[in-house]
Amino acid sequence: MLQHGPLLERLLAGDFICRITDEDAYRHLSLEQTQQDINHYLRPLNRRLVSNDDQSVYFLGYYELSKEAREQLSQQFAQTVQSLLPLLEWLQLVQETLGRDSALTAGDTIKLQEFVLRTEDNQSLRQRLNTLASDRFFNSQSEQLDSQVKLIFRRLKEHGYLLQPHADRQYYIVTGKIDYLIDVIRFIRDEEHLPVEDTPQQEALL
Amino acid sequence: MAPLDPPPGIASNLFNTGAERLALLGKYHKQLMQGYLDGYVDETAFSEGALKKLIAARILWRPDEQQPLALRPLVSELIASMVADENRRQINADVAEKLEQIRNRVQAYRDAQYKGDYAVAELQLQRLTEHVHDLSGQFEEAIDSLWHRLNSDFGFVSSLDDKIRENERAQKQLRRLLDGLDLLDFTELIELSEGNNHLRKLLVSQLQSQLSSHHSSLLEVQKRLVELLAKFRQQQSRSLLISNMVAFLRQHPKYQPADYPNRSELPDLFNQASAIRPQAAIALDKASERQILAELVRALPRQVAVALSDTPSASFSELLQDEEIAARQLALKTDVENFYLRVIDRGGSLSALEYLTEQQLPWDSEIWLYQILAEYQALPVAEKQMFQLQREESPASAVNSLYLIRDISIGLQAA
Repeated sequence: MLQHGPLLERLLAGDFICRITDEDAYRHLSLEQTQQDINHYLRPLNRRLVSNDDQSVYFLGYYELSKEAREQLSQQFAQTVQSLLPLLEWLQLVQETLGRDSALTAGDTIKLQEFVLRTEDNQSLRQRLNTLASDRFFNSQSEQLDSQVKLIFRRLKEHGYLLQPHADRQYYIVTGKIDYLIDVIRFIRDEEHLPVEDTPQQEALL
Repeated sequence: MAPLDPPPGIASNLFNTGAERLALLGKYHKQLMQGYLDGYVDETAFSEGALKKLIAARILWRPDEQQPLALRPLVSELIASMVADENRRQINADVAEKLEQIRNRVQAYRDAQYKGDYAVAELQLQRLTEHVHDLSGQFEEAIDSLWHRLNSDFGFVSSLDDKIRENERAQKQLRRLLDGLDLLDFTELIELSEGNNHLRKLLVSQLQSQLSSHHSSLLEVQKRLVELLAKFRQQQSRSLLISNMVAFLRQHPKYQPADYPNRSELPDLFNQASAIRPQAAIALDKASERQILAELVRALPRQVAVALSDTPSASFSELLQDEEIAARQLALKTDVENFYLRVIDRGGSLSALEYLTEQQLPWDSEIWLYQILAEYQALPVAEKQMFQLQREESPASAVNSLYLIRDISIGLQAA
């Protein structure tokens, strides 16, 4: 267990572990034996290892769902639901601003400066960013584009969606927590039968 | 049927015409390349004579009366292959035609050998070699093109939808190539080359090893193409999911999903425990670590005493200062400090009066004890607890309960 000390600490602190945030740890976590060891160790803390469907990201959940745990989870869930729209809008905005042909996935790099430059000269992107920055989730008070963007990226870093490899360099890498977000959306959609399609219309048949 | 090889006169004519026409490509390279990019050539960029020559050389053509001049498809293809332009590069998967040519050449070669016409036989063998290389080269070119497209992630088209279409097109080409490879029947080739070393080497050992390596390359490409297509589709569905979900949430701002955390079967996705942050403090119970701890403490940045500037205050009387008294008092203080240091060094308890005589200090014993007590009282509380002060005292008399201090011993408090 000693070798997994730092990993346990990160997990306990609520971090999401994926290939991007910590490749070695992620590899360890993919081994069944390690999973068992860690679960065994975490048992008295009422924690266990949880992963998303395709096992691209690991985090800790409760082993037993006590009343307190349920309360905490409800709170957590409310926050997640509240953050869905701003996060998705951000994903869309980045995709459009950077002219990418697909949505961001784990491992993609975003250069802050490039994002700012492209937003600067485009009135509609600027407007959308402004609205997004003032959303409760990001809660920016600033009118300055530069500080709005910085705040948005910092908040995303705090929430574990982005990784900043060098503290003084303004570029970010998307982490596997984005996969988790997508899984959450897919789950809600399937569960509630929302009219939200994700397969392209078959144009050929029309 | 294999065309008859031209007599030498025609061959040299062929050489001249070919060389001349190839030179045309070089002479007008810029205009032709522009024509390749635009899809038609700017006729004003050429002189009348040059246009005629280029048309005669089958480099340019007019597909339709109404259309501008354009490069012939073969020329475009040549350029596309030279610059690996995947948008225009063609893949020729036609194997049947090549096989037919190979069969005919083998027959012509054998006929010539039978007649004893060795010069013709030699020439036929030469042509046959070319055909075999062509066949292999055709696969090589196709495989190169496929890899090129794969490695660039189909970057030559911009939208994801186009990439998916391009990938599907590549997979169809690949299937045709594999079908073409299946047409090659090695038992037939072995039969064709029977009894002839040259043919055996060319058709069996060489071609077979080349084609089998092409076959495995193609299978690898196919695997990668399928993987990439799956990735493209995943990306596509993710983009769609995001934009459609955004649209939905915008339309239903008050939307609230079911209360998953309170379901009896909690979905794993929503089981995200609260953080526990392990705290730790310095442990003093391990003697072995004292040294490290001491170093850590020493490494702590010291608080720099803020030097308060002396503010002169008005006083009515001059403070009486006797330098001699001050010096004596300082000496007494130093001696008492030394006494305390000795106590720390020794560890055990030490009598003040014994120390006084032992060190032959000039102080009056009463003043000495007084100063030691004063120093003790002046210590900060934490340090005071480090010392144990023991008074050796007795009542002044049987009727007076006033206690007189005879001696003081000071020792280090056990930790």
